[in-house]
Amino acid sequence: MEAIKNALDFSDFPRLDLIVVGLIAVFLLVFPVFPHSSFAMATMIQFLMFSIYGMGWNTIGGYGGQVDLGKAQYVGIGAFTTAVMLIRWDIPFWFSMPIGIFFAVCWSFIIGYPLFRLKGHYFAIATIATSLVLKDIFEVWDLVGAARGLEISPIKYSPPDFLRLIFIEDIYYYYVILGFFFVGILYVNWFRKSRLGFQLRSIKDNEDMARSLGINVHLAKVKTYAIATAFVSVVGSFHACYIKNIEPADTMSLDISILIALMAMLGGAGSLWGPVIGAGILIPLKSYLKDWLGAQAGLVGIDLIIYAGIIMLVSAVEPRGIWGIVEKVRRRKRS
Amino acid sequence: MDILVSSLVAGLLIGMVLALVALGLTVIFGVMDIINFAHGEFLMIGMYAGLFAAQSTGMDPLFTLPVAAVVGFLLGIICYFGFIKFVLRGPMVAQLLGTFGLMLFLRNLALLIFGSEDRSLHHGILVGKSFDLGMGVIMPATKLAAAGLSVVAFMAVWLLMNRTKIGKALTATSLNAQGARYMGIPTERMNALAWGIGGGSVTIAGALIVNFWSVNPFMGILFTMIAFAIVALGGFGSVPGAFFAGLVVGIIMEIPGIWDFFTYTFDSDWMADVPMTSLKYMWVYLAYFVIMVVRPRGLFGWRQ
Repeated sequence: MEAIKNALDFSDFPRLDLIVVGLIAVFLLVFPVFPHSSFAMATMIQFLMFSIYGMGWNTIGGYGGQVDLGKAQYVGIGAFTTAVMLIRWDIPFWFSMPIGIFFAVCWSFIIGYPLFRLKGHYFAIATIATSLVLKDIFEVWDLVGAARGLEISPIKYSPPDFLRLIFIEDIYYYYVILGFFFVGILYVNWFRKSRLGFQLRSIKDNEDMARSLGINVHLAKVKTYAIATAFVSVVGSFHACYIKNIEPADTMSLDISILIALMAMLGGAGSLWGPVIGAGILIPLKSYLKDWLGAQAGLVGIDLIIYAGIIMLVSAVEPRGIWGIVEKVRRRKRS
Repeated sequence: MDILVSSLVAGLLIGMVLALVALGLTVIFGVMDIINFAHGEFLMIGMYAGLFAAQSTGMDPLFTLPVAAVVGFLLGIICYFGFIKFVLRGPMVAQLLGTFGLMLFLRNLALLIFGSEDRSLHHGILVGKSFDLGMGVIMPATKLAAAGLSVVAFMAVWLLMNRTKIGKALTATSLNAQGARYMGIPTERMNALAWGIGGGSVTIAGALIVNFWSVNPFMGILFTMIAFAIVALGGFGSVPGAFFAGLVVGIIMEIPGIWDFFTYTFDSDWMADVPMTSLKYMWVYLAYFVIMVVRPRGLFGWRQ
């Protein structure tokens, strides 16, 4: 009860924020009612998926300050667990998703224990390395379809199938992922006020100080890493059912890992709304730029050039992201 | 036996080139504690520079090395003054993602300009020639030349770092930037020089391998990861470490060949079933992971 009350308690934000958040929440709920193109719908689903990835990254990367660039491996574990179970044994999504989380968390413990002995750059690159190792293994592993990946054919099932999450219309997927999105927000809201959340922030500020206060630094990091992993794995499972055609080369590519970290950082790492803001800006920008400049004007790659330009600008000018700018403006107003 | 020896020889040869690739990364890291994700993209640009210089002049790419070196040097300095200088002020996250942005930028710029197809060069004077070392070991002349010139370039950079005043200033900057500034060393210019040397050495490596390796805009990340593995093994910031680690990683990359040797020797079925060639690069990443966990300082790293 206490936990739920804490999760629903947003009272430490200024009123203006809450009004904006409320308006956005209402907009997200009623968005499918308005006339929209299927492209806009797909972009919205992508936005919600990457917001949740970003929230997961934000627990360890934002609150904990451990830059993880290997989140794609957990996307892969979640996605392939769900796909393999559905195709081979006809196990529905709602059962395979927790199993996917279980596998992902086990893997995160296996690599997390040695990984968290490292710091800074070393940690970041080591997470990339583990992610690429797992991708290479998946590409030769016959059970998960090797390099060709797996395809879930919707013809075998009778959509809309709520148990297996096989739909024809995107609107069902939209509401499922929106549900996960709200749960994720509430969870992170609880997390930042929990004991672990405070421990993590003190580790970020000064690790030695945190240790001297009796915090088990290594355990706190590994636990939070598992939480972040669970977030990513859930959306990975959803990704398998939504995309229906998954290959290790796409699902587990380094670009996904970096994109996840980037969303959170652009929005503002270590704040509740940061990942959502980041995803809300980057995902529509990415897909519309690709559509306008890449596909229509025939300029391959220019969308990613502009995109890379934004990354470089943010990291050079305001590394604390958009939320950092908002807070700076507020502080100036107050003083 | 011949498979084993030729695998080891091939590994050592490519290892010498890889050592030159990693040299730039380790110099940059040593001087200003920043990891350059765009390193493989520098190599890719070096390959394009070597390729186009060779195609337009009709000469062998080995003779157009200076073009690639100049391109890389300028690229490094432009990157430093145009971008890295600003990122250095921020936290580590910003540096990581900033150089990642640089990588994405260069890769897609190359995609926009050169297109996504593989390009390769066939008119070099050494292409197709090879030496027979006996015992069935055949060494392609292109790889031998690339390895030899890599060692020469590596030695040149090493001499520059250790035997000249500029090199001493660079070392001083990497040991203690503030102290170096008090001694009148222009650290800003030293940082830029480190980027220039880093860019120049890696583009030379790129121009060397263009004889036997086709180039496309997406190849960078592979070499970035290999370079990370070498630098981690040799110790971040250590120049001699990079050379020995390059040889080790070159041999690690030839694990499929060595595996084949054991498969034939023991004539075992399960070993033949393992898809070793697809896992070629996995060993490099795995080596990185293991080195970082077991000995984060690397073989020759500085004590800090």
